Formats: sequence, structure tokens, C-alpha cells
Amino acid sequence: MKTFEEKWTTWVDGQLSGRELAEFEASLPDKAAAEAEKAEARKLGKLLKNELGVRALTNEEFFSHQLREKIAQEQASRRFRGRRTETSTWWTIPRLLWTGTVSIAVFVICTVLVMHEKNPSEESQYLTQILNARVDPVVSPNATVSMFEVKQDRVTVLWTEGLQSLPADYAAK
Amino acid sequence: MGGVSAYLIPVVALILSATPGLKGAETVWSGLVIAENVAEPQPIPAELTRIEGSLKKFFGYNQFQVIGQSQKTLKTGQEDWLATSKFFGLHVDARGESEANYVLNLKLYKEKELLLETDAKLSKRSPLVIKGPQVGSGQLLLVLVVQ
Repeated sequence: MKTFEEKWTTWVDGQLSGRELAEFEASLPDKAAAEAEKAEARKLGKLLKNELGVRALTNEEFFSHQLREKIAQEQASRRFRGRRTETSTWWTIPRLLWTGTVSIAVFVICTVLVMHEKNPSEESQYLTQILNARVDPVVSPNATVSMFEVKQDRVTVLWTEGLQSLPADYAAK
Repeated sequence: MGGVSAYLIPVVALILSATPGLKGAETVWSGLVIAENVAEPQPIPAELTRIEGSLKKFFGYNQFQVIGQSQKTLKTGQEDWLATSKFFGLHVDARGESEANYVLNLKLYKEKELLLETDAKLSKRSPLVIKGPQVGSGQLLLVLVVQ
């Protein structure tokens, strides 16, 4: 047995018919007011259905929506892969080799520069040096020795004076 | 692999070029030279060509003749040798070697008489000339060159 409220809802929805409809309308105290209320309720229902109902997507919109989703997924996975690549490539074997090579090259350049800077001060080591010289004081009592370098030909000369002079015969081979 | 060798080869070459050269056996030429002024000078011996300018400038002679010589290839840097003429003898005693020079003891003899003794570091790039006694109108010079 339906209550009055249930029958009212069914009537407003237009789903009562036949004898049930006649009995319900006969039980209404003011049929005109009830009809006006029914019309208002139907109008409100229609409005709510239009405004709140799920709008169906057209084919075009559905397709572009799917495409946008796929593109977003691909971009996200590419960004993730990119981050993985950035972090992993630095210590790969080629990178290590490059690092080693660059270090060796810097070391060699520094060594060459240091050697190059040292050379001018060590130039004297490339000239012959006379450490000492002695003349027999008995044979040549007045002899003296001195030494100098001729930078032009890098010749070092030990210069003696006062050695005993000898006859031309001593020039024989 | 090809990429690796492409940059390893130049680097290895650079390192090898920066390494000081390895030493090999070197020859020391020792000569007893008579320097004179003559009207028609003989050409200077080949061993002295390199220092011809300095010899002429500092000793003032126009002819240089070799009266005795010796060429010694040094392997250990501890060798000794003699360059002699009829009356003179130059005894050279090598007493060690460094990267740039040989330490030598030199003794000039007139027959058996020691005239002069000196110790020198003979550089491989720098000849040594010793002015000896006056001989007639000329001058005895002792020359040592690393060839």
C-alpha cells in the first residue's frame, strides 16, 4: 500500500494511470493548486536535468581528449628517462676516459711550462765550465790562468799567459 | 674503440715528446791545434768549422792546423784517452757524466813534462778551447768538442 507521499511523487512524475490516477486526484483537497505545484516541480526537474546532467562528448572532443592524455603520458615518461640519462651518463666509461685524458693533458702542459721556465736559469749548465786549472810553477813560474765564455758560439776558453815559449820544431805532427 | 684511440694516441705522443731525450753514446773530439798567421792560410779543419769565428776573433790567427787528435766514443763516461803530436800529449780522463756534460781531467804534457792541468765540465753543446804555450810564431791550442 503506497503512502500519500509516494503516490504524490508518482503523480508528479506522470506515472499514475487508470483507476489509481482517478482515486488520487479525487483525494486531492485542491486539485488546481496541486496541478500548479506539479507543473512547478516538473519545470524544476527539467532545469536541473539540463544544468547538472553529464554532457556527452562528441567524437571529435573524445578523440582530442585521448590524444592529449597520450601526449601528456609520453612527455612525463620522456622527462623521467631524461633525468635517468643525465644522472647515469657522467660516470660512463667514455666520460671516465675523457676525464683521465684531460687530467693527463693538463699535467703534461704544466710539466712542459715548468721545464720551460726552468731552462733560462739552467742555461749555464749547457756551457762548459772550468772547475780549476794548475800550471807547473817550476816550469812556468810566471804563468797565470783565466777563463771566459764566448756566448756567441757557446765556447769556453781557458786563457793562459806566461807559459814557457817553445821553438817552432814543437809544432811538428 | 676507434674513438678511444683517436684521442689516446695524440696524448701518448705528447707525453713522449715532453720526456727528455734518451741519451746515447757520444763522441768527444780532442785536438792539438797550432794557430798561426800565414800569407796563404789552409782551410780550417772540419772539426773546427763550428767555432772558426770565435777562434779567429779571440786568438787573432788566420790558420789552424791539427797536429794531433783523438776521437773517443764515451759509453760509460769513465773512459780516458790520449791525443798526441810529436812532442805534446793531451791526456783526457773522463770522471763522470751528467745529463748535460762530462766531468773531465785534462793534462797537457810536453814530452814527459806536465805543463798544465785542469778540471772541467765539458758540455755536450759547448766546446772547450785552452790556450797553450807559444810555439815558434804560433800558438798551441787544445780543443775539445762533443760531436
